Amino acid sequence: MNIRASLSRKKLIGLTAVLIAGSMTLAEIPANANSSDVSGTSDIVLGMQLPQTGLASPGYNKIDDAMRGYFDYVNSKGGIGGKKIRLEVKDDGYKAGLTISTASSLINKEKVFSFVGSVGTQTHIAVIKDINRRKIPDVFVNTGYTEFYKPATYPTTFAALGTYVTEAKIMGKYLKETYADKKIGILYQTDDFGRNALKGFNEAGLTFEKKKTEASFISGTQSNPGLGSQIGQLKANGVEIAIIAAVSSATAVSLLTASALGYKPEKWVVISVGADATTIQTIAGLRGIAPADSAALLKGLISASHAPAPGDSSDEYVSAFKKINDEFNKGPDKRWDNNVLQGMNIGYMTVGALMGTLNTKTVFSAKNNKTCQANAKKGTLSRVCFIDYMESNGSKINSAAFSALQYSATTHEAFSGFWIGAYDAATVLQPVGGTRVVYTTDSGSGLVTVSNYKRPAIAADALPKN
Amino acid sequence: MFKHFQKGNAIKSLIFFALIFYFGKVFDPYNQGQLSVVLIYFIGILSITLLTGLSGQISLGQGALMAVGGYTCALVVLNLGLSYWQSIIISAVVSLIAGWLLGITAARLSGPYLAGTTLVIALAIPSLATRFESVFGGDVGLSVDFGNPPEWLSGAIGEIGYEQWQLFAILPFATIALFLALNIFKSRTGRSWRAVRDHEIAASLTGINVQRVKIFTFVVASGFAGLAGAMYGLRGIVGPSVYPVSLSLALLTGAILGGLRSIAGAFFGAALVVFLPDLIDKITGGWELAPQVGDYLPAMVSGILLILTVVLNPAGIAGALHHHKPRHK
Amino acid sequence: MEQFLSAVFAGTASGSIYALVALGLVLVWRGAGVINFAQMGQAMFSTYVASTMIINGYSYWIAFFVALAVGTALGTAVDLLVMRPLSGKRSSAMLASPAMRGTVPVIASLGILGILQAAAGMIWAAEERGFPAPVNTLGLTIGGTVMPFTAFDLFVIGIVLVTLIITTIFFQKTGMGLAMRASALNPEVARLSGIRTSSVRTLSWAISGAASSLAGLLVTPNTNLSPNTLDLILIIGFTATVIGGLDSLPGGVLGGFILGLVISFVNVYSSPSDIFLAILALLLIVLLVRPQGILGSKEARRV
Repeated sequence: MNIRASLSRKKLIGLTAVLIAGSMTLAEIPANANSSDVSGTSDIVLGMQLPQTGLASPGYNKIDDAMRGYFDYVNSKGGIGGKKIRLEVKDDGYKAGLTISTASSLINKEKVFSFVGSVGTQTHIAVIKDINRRKIPDVFVNTGYTEFYKPATYPTTFAALGTYVTEAKIMGKYLKETYADKKIGILYQTDDFGRNALKGFNEAGLTFEKKKTEASFISGTQSNPGLGSQIGQLKANGVEIAIIAAVSSATAVSLLTASALGYKPEKWVVISVGADATTIQTIAGLRGIAPADSAALLKGLISASHAPAPGDSSDEYVSAFKKINDEFNKGPDKRWDNNVLQGMNIGYMTVGALMGTLNTKTVFSAKNNKTCQANAKKGTLSRVCFIDYMESNGSKINSAAFSALQYSATTHEAFSGFWIGAYDAATVLQPVGGTRVVYTTDSGSGLVTVSNYKRPAIAADALPKN
Repeated sequence: MFKHFQKGNAIKSLIFFALIFYFGKVFDPYNQGQLSVVLIYFIGILSITLLTGLSGQISLGQGALMAVGGYTCALVVLNLGLSYWQSIIISAVVSLIAGWLLGITAARLSGPYLAGTTLVIALAIPSLATRFESVFGGDVGLSVDFGNPPEWLSGAIGEIGYEQWQLFAILPFATIALFLALNIFKSRTGRSWRAVRDHEIAASLTGINVQRVKIFTFVVASGFAGLAGAMYGLRGIVGPSVYPVSLSLALLTGAILGGLRSIAGAFFGAALVVFLPDLIDKITGGWELAPQVGDYLPAMVSGILLILTVVLNPAGIAGALHHHKPRHK
Repeated sequence: MEQFLSAVFAGTASGSIYALVALGLVLVWRGAGVINFAQMGQAMFSTYVASTMIINGYSYWIAFFVALAVGTALGTAVDLLVMRPLSGKRSSAMLASPAMRGTVPVIASLGILGILQAAAGMIWAAEERGFPAPVNTLGLTIGGTVMPFTAFDLFVIGIVLVTLIITTIFFQKTGMGLAMRASALNPEVARLSGIRTSSVRTLSWAISGAASSLAGLLVTPNTNLSPNTLDLILIIGFTATVIGGLDSLPGGVLGGFILGLVISFVNVYSSPSDIFLAILALLLIVLLVRPQGILGSKEARRV
């Protein structure tokens, strides 16, 4: 083919096509485009970004469906002061270049009031600056990456999880005290999650020896049948207490590989993100391992959690959320597990924070109190007041977790408390030593102490009362 | 190649600049952002148009060269404190050097061997980021952006939004890239690339140094890719998840859909790849789709389009718009 | 010492997987002259079918053979719907130059891969699954220690070697095999000598379809199954064929084991962050010394 004349003509046609594509979307801008306030009975539009397709999607792609399920439940009860909640979800395939575009779509096209529950450190970092620059709330972000939750840098961003460092510090202290004379090793995935966990263990005084008691694999390559050599490394070096800091599917592969190799450390220890028993047992089951056998494999495995175990049906939050999930979750896979519990809990906290912002009795920070109370009286939801409520009243936002949200002017980290448990024969995480002790600490060099927080009960209608 | 500077090319480029500038003024902010991505993809796809379309060498790793440009740009901005446009130029130059190294290897390879090597490069380059974390920022990468619009610009054309400023910052570079590509296509250089593509032995008989041409093609194509990569990173972040293997494949898809041997095709391909999910959203908005079907629909459609294009309309959109039956040269 | 042995065994075990993938790729290359990037997409899709059957109560072996049938059908469909119409276009502008003739089918196969992954995502909601192995996956005991090497790994190596021997005999000794080779290397000459090249090509796509679903069934017990989990294995398998020599069946197998061992040793003695760089370095060294791969023949390089 010869490229000669007619370039500009063709280009004109092409550019016209772009113009048409663009103007089609132009037509959609709602009339109140200038104001981010939600007043009267308008919908509260919330935006969420997560990988719904691609390698990083399995598991996480259930969180949004659970959140939407909870919001639909709230809407069926009349919404928040007549306002219905609508969750707009954008798939970024865990590609940061795409995350920037989908964020722009949520901001400019969907006109979201707030971002909520976004998943993925590597992708969220691409948009967090822009979201903050525009002063859009960015609440309950689903990653434990510590750097996101410094209000001086990112004033509108709030976490949904305890940080990886916090959890690892608490776990590390426990292991160091309980297994002082044992050889402790770690297998972690090389990303911010794995490395932050490693940092937390180091902070707690647990150190590992590279190539001996410290093994790692590239995150997302659990599909690469090479995990055997890392497991073999821990085994060859006589690791007695083996920690796994990896996502659940990779944890499943690691545990099954180890079992095939006849490697049975005295204790397996798995960081909460990767310790979802349902995921592990489902994967094992489809490999032809009977549930009884995979349960035996999990029995005694130590993990930590900031919330109740999903399998703990005696927990009032678990049973309330489970009921809502059965009735309202319309996702393709709504099987009850850690991800669904997490989604429900984020939905619950979001509704609590929105209610609190609209409550006329709320006392906001001195700076915004007057405006925000006036807004609440008018039934107007504004971004400034929502962020103010999160920061000044965070501890009043209840949830299934066993520690209070610790939001303040100096930190936007979520939960500081974790309890340590071991799986029982029915693969439910039970507190070690029989009674649940919640430990609390920070992401820095602060001490690990026992928390005396008492979790408020959930109301009969499973709605927050903020 | 500048010997063959043509007035027509300069005029075309200026028309291009004016049109995009106009759309940048009338589009809503979301589509301004999308148009920025179109321009970046356009430059990235041009590198494939030159490399594969014009000189017949396949690369599944142009995304890696974009990463070279992106990381160079971020490091220059963060460590030397240069402005974004100086950094972009430096990135393009560094990418030229990377392309030269790659070209030396690639000139010895052809077909699947070259495809395999470039694919592994696409996989390996982003892993340097975690290997040398203290320099490249590891998984979370390096945070950079275009900064705020200069006052003289907002003074001249009124208030400029964030997305709009990105677009206006990218536009001059896209225009320059277009101008260069137009000149290469028409120059003697371009003709010798085509000759190598169509028949290596015949080309060498006419006195063309085939190896040198192949290496030079890689150098030039890498410059384009590096330029695109630098600006792709300046949208907010430079990191491994910005330049995954799938980016290389998306560029290739765009190049094929638009028309592998046409500069206009590169633009159509870029626009199609970028706007396809929006178009699908628009069309299927009223349908009752199961959520996972909606999620995977863009991937499904672009796969189908790719196959339909290579089977039914190998010259792509640009070829289809061409009224004459494409002659091959 | 235990660490060294463990690296050797783990590398051999994963090497056999890469070898199997490489065999499938070389098969299509020799039979149809195309690098089939959709191969692991076909494998993923047919393994999902098998997995769904097993969940619905069918026995492993029924699911196994159904998956092979699905793989064969997919391979045939790829040829009839895409590759054959494409090869009819040899005269078009796109395919006129020799350089493009190798490139365009690669792009078509990437399109097929995209469609298969999207379809799997739509049908199975992208949930991550495990997949059973036909024989036990307990590590073998050598000198009192259990090695990262299972009876299943041995089984896979057996399959790889059997496939290697059968296909080698097929290509070198049988008329059909020779016809395949001829039509891949030089379709015009093959056609002139009376070979029905298009049927021959369809047959080799069908065989390779079965081979890739076999790969899927044997890879997934060591990994997990999701629409994208096999992408990396495809890239490594492809690298194995390039290192070993694209047109050489033993070369692909050799390349697979070399890569398995290199990855395993980098894992144990260096760091996982170095794996891809090590693969790249190995590939560059091999290709700079032998641009046609270790066991590849010279003419295969000229596509």
